[in-house]
Parts: sequence; structure tokens; C-alpha cells
Amino acid sequence: MIPSIKIARKYALSALLIGIFVIMATIPGYIAPYGPSERFGGYQTPSTAHIMGTDDMGRDIFSLLVHAARLSLLIGVVSGVLAIGIGVIVGLLSGWLGGIWDDIFMGLTDTVLILPKIPLIIVMAAYLEPGPKLLIVTLGLLSWESGARVVRAKVLQVRTMGFVLSARCFGFSSAYILSREILPVLFPVIVPKFVLVTASAMIAEASLSFLGLSDPTMISWGVMISDAFTHSGFIRHMWYWWLPPTLCIILGVCAITSIAFLYEGRTRELIQL
Amino acid sequence: MMPGNPIVHLIGEDIMVTPELVEELTATLGLDKPLHEQFLIFIQNLAAGDLGYSYHLHAPVAELILERLPWTLLLVGTALLIGYSIGVLAGAYAGWQTKQKGAKALTFIGFIISCTPPYLLGLVLFSVFVYHLGWFPFKGLYTTPDLASIMWHMTLPIATLSLFIFARNLLIMRGSVLTEKHQLYPQFARSLGASKGFVLHRHVMKNAILPIITQFAIDFGFILSGALFIEIIFSLNAMGSLMYTAILNHDYPILSGLFLVIAVMAIGANILADVLYGIIDPRIWREMQ
Repeated sequence: MIPSIKIARKYALSALLIGIFVIMATIPGYIAPYGPSERFGGYQTPSTAHIMGTDDMGRDIFSLLVHAARLSLLIGVVSGVLAIGIGVIVGLLSGWLGGIWDDIFMGLTDTVLILPKIPLIIVMAAYLEPGPKLLIVTLGLLSWESGARVVRAKVLQVRTMGFVLSARCFGFSSAYILSREILPVLFPVIVPKFVLVTASAMIAEASLSFLGLSDPTMISWGVMISDAFTHSGFIRHMWYWWLPPTLCIILGVCAITSIAFLYEGRTRELIQL
Repeated sequence: MMPGNPIVHLIGEDIMVTPELVEELTATLGLDKPLHEQFLIFIQNLAAGDLGYSYHLHAPVAELILERLPWTLLLVGTALLIGYSIGVLAGAYAGWQTKQKGAKALTFIGFIISCTPPYLLGLVLFSVFVYHLGWFPFKGLYTTPDLASIMWHMTLPIATLSLFIFARNLLIMRGSVLTEKHQLYPQFARSLGASKGFVLHRHVMKNAILPIITQFAIDFGFILSGALFIEIIFSLNAMGSLMYTAILNHDYPILSGLFLVIAVMAIGANILADVLYGIIDPRIWREMQ
């Protein structure tokens, strides 16, 4: 058995990073020295007044960075919730009903699995009105397949186990058994999947904002990088403009993903013991 | 339904035209028909190998994509070769010798890179090697159309994509080798006196490589879209840049054509993975017979 202190230390760095980002997202007004639309002189180098300088429109880059956390995290988490919700429903029904429903749902899952997601979202975002809502819905609708697969596998594994059989003998309805008996067992396989979907949604958001496929009035880390790329931040060697949001995305995704890996690693070790 | 009318984009926003002319243009482009009819026409043309016509670039979409496809394939193909071979070897080492410092460092680097969206990796390398050090050219596929110039221009984009593929495969291979390591057969081979390296290369790697092939089928779409973004960063006139200008200009025929080509390539990658699987794992053939 691993001592629990060691587990806590393993999670500490990721938890700290995620904590900082969540605080940035919830109360940006208290951390950022300026509002996201306050303007100063454009293209300023870092100084005591603006610790990361200002961008092309004269907005304080550090304040933008803090305010951008909200949208970036929100898109990731909400599409993660949506994807896992669909995945759990599809996986539960597929594993529980079996037969032709299983074939239909798994066929659907395999189709979604090989769809090239980012190109598809690009096409959809170009046709429809781009914005956070569209991103959340399309990311959610396209990322549920891995969740559905693990949930189905787990349902198949537990559906013939004693506690499920006895619940059926007592005459509980399928809905009751699925929600009260099977859903809690699924928790350990859902958590890492949710976390990974959230991380990949953050990556997708950053990529699509970079192409300009997001609401131009809202700020996210991807939008900041895109601004720096298209408004001569690179030619002016303004690394303090694009590097902070880049690091935020990388650190955010790393922290979230590492929680999934640590969690999966822990359960695997426990199973082996 | 969508922001920006293709007709307005086609003639330019500051040009005044009569409403009749706009109507006439809409009718000739078939944009006045209901969506399902437009879709039927698209499918009919598709069967004849016609992906539509880009009114922006004044060329058939199929031609535009075919012109740029070889460059994208060059980028993706070279990066796949480099990334997979180094990634699999490094991952096998990292999984086999988990306790060594080098293996731990490799795993850590691989983890960080695989968390980075490919285009951000490209931006970082671009900024360091092009803007700050000036070792590589700013943009384009070549300055003079010869091999040396193409190689000079392609080095950094290929390095970016290879690095990304390398990191993903390193992690998958490491996990896979770790699982195989605790099976009985490598321990049995060791007890017969086979050296550690021999067991890894002759026995463990063959089994551990199967998840890599499964993952290739799933990853291919992701790697391809990564390549498109990298082309945009390095301003290579290939499929990615075509997509970028099409987004900016609302050039729908190009976007749907590109998506179709990408989807077909992803399906092709899946078929390839299935075939490879059969070659590497003889049990699959035996089951089929």
C-alpha cells in the first residue's frame, strides 16, 4: 500500500495549479489590476504598471490573462460534462439492453471515434455562428465515444454480479438499478475520462480560437495567442504577449491530465494488490 | 443561419450592387435552393469526382486540394516515420527501465509535449528558431524549387510534428511495455538465461506494439489536423493554409471538400491499421480461418 501522504504529494502540484486557475476564473476582478477593456498605450514593454506589457489595442496583458481563464476553463469543463453525460447514457443503455441496441449504439460510437474531430468542428463553426455555445455543443457531441466504451465494458462486467442480480430479484425497475446500483460503480472509470475530455476540449478551444473561430468579443487564452500572431506580436519579439497564455494552456492541460493519470495509476495498483 | 453572406464576400463589402444582381448571382450559384436540395446537388457532383468550385480562388476545389495534398502528405509522412520510430524505441526503453533517471526524464518531457496543442509547439519553435535565432526561413515551401531549399524550409515544421507524434507514442509504448513486463513469458525467457535486451527486443516489443497500431487509427485525424495548424504557423502553402484562407473568406466549397478529403484519409488510416494488425499479430489470421 502506498502511504496516503505520498498520494497527497503526488496530487499537490496539479491541485495547486488547478486551484490558481479556478480562482482566476471565478474572481478575476480581484486579481487583475485592470479591467479587460481598459485601454492604455499600445505595444508597451513590461513595466511596473503593466507587468506583462500591453497588446496592440493597449490592453494590459496580465489582466487579459486573468480574465481569459474563465472562458477557457468553462468551455473545457462544460463540454466535458456534456460528453460524459452522453457517454454514460449511451454506455449504460448499450451494456444493459444488449442485443440490437448494443449493435446500434456501438456502431454509432465507432463512427464518432474515427471522425476527424477538429476539422469537423472547423467546418461546423465556419457554417454556423462561431461562439462558446457552439464550441461547447460540438465538442460535447463529438467526444463522448471513449466514455461510452468504458462505461459499456464496466456495465457488461457488473450486470451479472451478485448485487445487481439480487436487486433484480427484489423486482426493482431497470431505471432504479441503473441509477442506484450500477452508476456508483461506474464512478472510478468515469472520472479519468471526464478529466481527459475536459483537457482535450481546452486544446480544441485554443486551436479553434487561433483560427479566429470564436466570438471576437470574448477573451480566452487561445484568442490572446491568435491576436499576438495576427497583430505582429511575433515580429516585435513580444514574447511576454503570447508566452503567458501559451504556458497557461500547457500547464492547465498538464495539471488536468496528470490528475487522470495519477487516479488511473492508483486504481490499477490497488487492483493489483 | 451563418454570419457573412458568401455573395457579399465574393463581390466585396464596399461595392454597391443592385438587389437584382445579387438575386441573379444567388440563383446562378444555386444558393436560393433549400439546403437539402443543395446537398443533393453536392452529392450528385461528388459521385462524378467534382468537389465544387471555389469562386474566391476561381478554380475547382478538387484541383486546389490536389495541388496542395502532396505537400501535406510530405509533412505528415516524414513526421510519422520519424515520430513513430523514435517514439516506439524511446517508449520501450522508458517502460523497460522505469527506475533510470534517463527514462524518468524522457517520460516527463513526453508528458509535457503531449499536453501541448501541436500549433503551440510550432509557435514556440517558430519564435525561438526563426525570430530569435534566425536559423530557418520565415515562410513558404521553398525559395528556389530544389531539394536543398525544400529541406531547409521543411525542417522545422517536420521537427514540430515529429516531436508531437514522438511524445504521444512514447507514452503509449511505455504503458504497454509496463503491462507486458509483468506477464509470465518475459520472466520465463529471463529464467532461461536470455539477456534483458534480448527479451525486450525479441519478445516484449512485438506484443507491446499492438496498442500503438490501434492508437494510430484513432490518432490519425488528430495528427492530420495538427499538421494543418503547423502549416498555418509556418505559412506553408499546403492544405492547412488553404483551409485558413477558406475560413477567412467563407469559402464553403473548399471547407467541405477539405473535410471530405481528411475524412477519407482517416478511414484509409483505419484500414491500414487493420491490415498492419493482421500482419503483426498472426492470431487474427488464425481466428479468421
